[in-house]
Amino acid sequence: MFNKDFWSEIFMALRRNKLRTILTGFAISWGIFMLIVLLSAGNGLKNGVTGNFADRIKNTYTIWSSSTELPYKGHKAGRFIVLNNKDIQFLESLYEVEEVSPVLSKGGTLIFGEKSRSVSLEGVKPIYKNIQGIKIVEGRFINENDMKNKLKVVVIDKTTNEELLRTTGEPSMIGKIVYINNLGFKVVGVSKGMAFGEMGQCYAPYSTLQAIYNVNEYYQLTFTTKGLNTKEDNETFKTELKRKIAAIHDFSPDDNRGVWIDSEMINSLETLRIFNTINIFIWVIGIAMLISGVVGVSNIMRITVKERTNEIGIRKALGAKPRSILLSIVMESLVITTIFGYIGMISGVGVMEIVNMIMESSGAGTNAEMEMSVFVNPTVDINIVLMATLVLIVSGVAAGFAPAWNSVKVKPIEAMNYR
Amino acid sequence: MIKLENINKTYFGAQPLHVLKGINLDVTEGELVSIMGASGSGKSTLLNILGILDNYDEGDYYLAGKLVKNLSENQAAEFRNKLIGFIFQSFNLIPFKTALENVALPLFYQGVNRKKRNTMAMEYLERFGLKDWAEHYPNELSGGQKQRVSIARALVTSPKIILADEPTGALDSKTSAEVMQILREVNATGITMVIVTHERGIANLTRKIVHLKDGIIESIEENDPDKMDFTKEIK
Repeated sequence: MFNKDFWSEIFMALRRNKLRTILTGFAISWGIFMLIVLLSAGNGLKNGVTGNFADRIKNTYTIWSSSTELPYKGHKAGRFIVLNNKDIQFLESLYEVEEVSPVLSKGGTLIFGEKSRSVSLEGVKPIYKNIQGIKIVEGRFINENDMKNKLKVVVIDKTTNEELLRTTGEPSMIGKIVYINNLGFKVVGVSKGMAFGEMGQCYAPYSTLQAIYNVNEYYQLTFTTKGLNTKEDNETFKTELKRKIAAIHDFSPDDNRGVWIDSEMINSLETLRIFNTINIFIWVIGIAMLISGVVGVSNIMRITVKERTNEIGIRKALGAKPRSILLSIVMESLVITTIFGYIGMISGVGVMEIVNMIMESSGAGTNAEMEMSVFVNPTVDINIVLMATLVLIVSGVAAGFAPAWNSVKVKPIEAMNYR
Repeated sequence: MIKLENINKTYFGAQPLHVLKGINLDVTEGELVSIMGASGSGKSTLLNILGILDNYDEGDYYLAGKLVKNLSENQAAEFRNKLIGFIFQSFNLIPFKTALENVALPLFYQGVNRKKRNTMAMEYLERFGLKDWAEHYPNELSGGQKQRVSIARALVTSPKIILADEPTGALDSKTSAEVMQILREVNATGITMVIVTHERGIANLTRKIVHLKDGIIESIEENDPDKMDFTKEIK
């Protein structure tokens, strides 16, 4: 049945009926194409926004120093609460706290050769990279060995790095010694990190800076938690933590300020919720589009078969068996839908890849100053594309099948006289 | 070759229409028969039943010794393909196929391979002087050429009988004469032929004229076409 002759018969019929073939095919291609573009755009938005947090670990907290809002036990409102080693000890005593990474901040001047630049020097632990989602462009971040041996190493920011390279003509800053507040630090890495205006941002091991400066004042404490998995867990923990820190620093537990506590888990769950909503929205539109595609294809198939009733009658008069007619009609629609579905798929994916390429090279979709992206990698899961194509193909063939079956069932003379 | 016994056919519409009311007819091998009658006499229905394009309600129809009754679709297709060649008033050529492909189509359904069926189709086209038109589509052919293509298509499977439904109905008188000449020549090779017509001039070219009126055979007239004067127009 499916010999070379059968297929050449089918392809000949398709070639000879170009308009019909192209119209049917276009409906399929367009449906798939639009679906891919839509889903890809949705994915691009999602990838763009979530990508900003992708490198961060979720079970982290940050406590920021702030000033009080309410008077309490003789203290006036507006008192600035500075975090200290007692807070660290307290946090470390908590069961839920895994590792505390204080942020030891020192202003200073970085000097390399002739060039000097004001920087903020932060003493952090290796985990800080994951807590903040710091991206390393060259070299590495602070590691456990640096911490243990209190090594004088530093990670400088990209802007500082570029400026130093430009003025000194060095090929790379890695391994070079820079002086910060007259202390020599070996550069081990360059971070993409956020530089604010003229101020550079450098990271050194917490232990090193603590040994040098013996600090007992912190404006920012970060820590990772364990066993807090749900939003409720985190809300409870956060409230309790706020109350206890208020007790340590003698400010009202009802004070909205005093310290800021930020839970990455709560934030990310919130972001995730927003994106799930967007995702549902995209899928609803996508499925609606697929349905309209299916309806379009089905209609064309129905009309096509109606149009061919005469031809079917003639073929039957000449001795075509019902099965052979049915099979050739179904195969014709299968061939059209498959070929054009594939074309739609390829062009949809192709167009989005080109968009992706252009955006990557031009930097569109990302905010360079903030190092933030809003639209990244607008592509779609190939399995979803294949599924959608399959749905259209199956529905197209199914839609052609019923009228074809009817025409085949009709007496040949009626089919021939059909107009 | 054809034996009809008390064939009855009713169309069940809003108003049931008893079209054939007991037809008895014998056509022997090699005969050239015409069925005449006014429109509505049931002549086309009779031809459709003979061609297994339509079914009948009562009676028996034997074709080449086999009872044609309650056939499955597949059996009917096989009968039509192997035993019967059709010629229609409106030609019924497939518009998107060339003359050659149209003629070769019945062979496709016999499972003949492309090369062989094209060779065979070409032979028949050549026989009817259409060799140069083989690659043309039906809409590029004149009425007479189209009818010759459909005659070639009817003959390509070497059927036992040819059924022609108003074969000259869409042709002018000169072309009609040519087509009838071809059909007579085909009949002379021994193929049984039944022609439905409402034109006396066409019927006069056959050996037996069956007059049909209101669903019954009114009379069967023996005729000698060789007495006819071909120089005269047949209409």
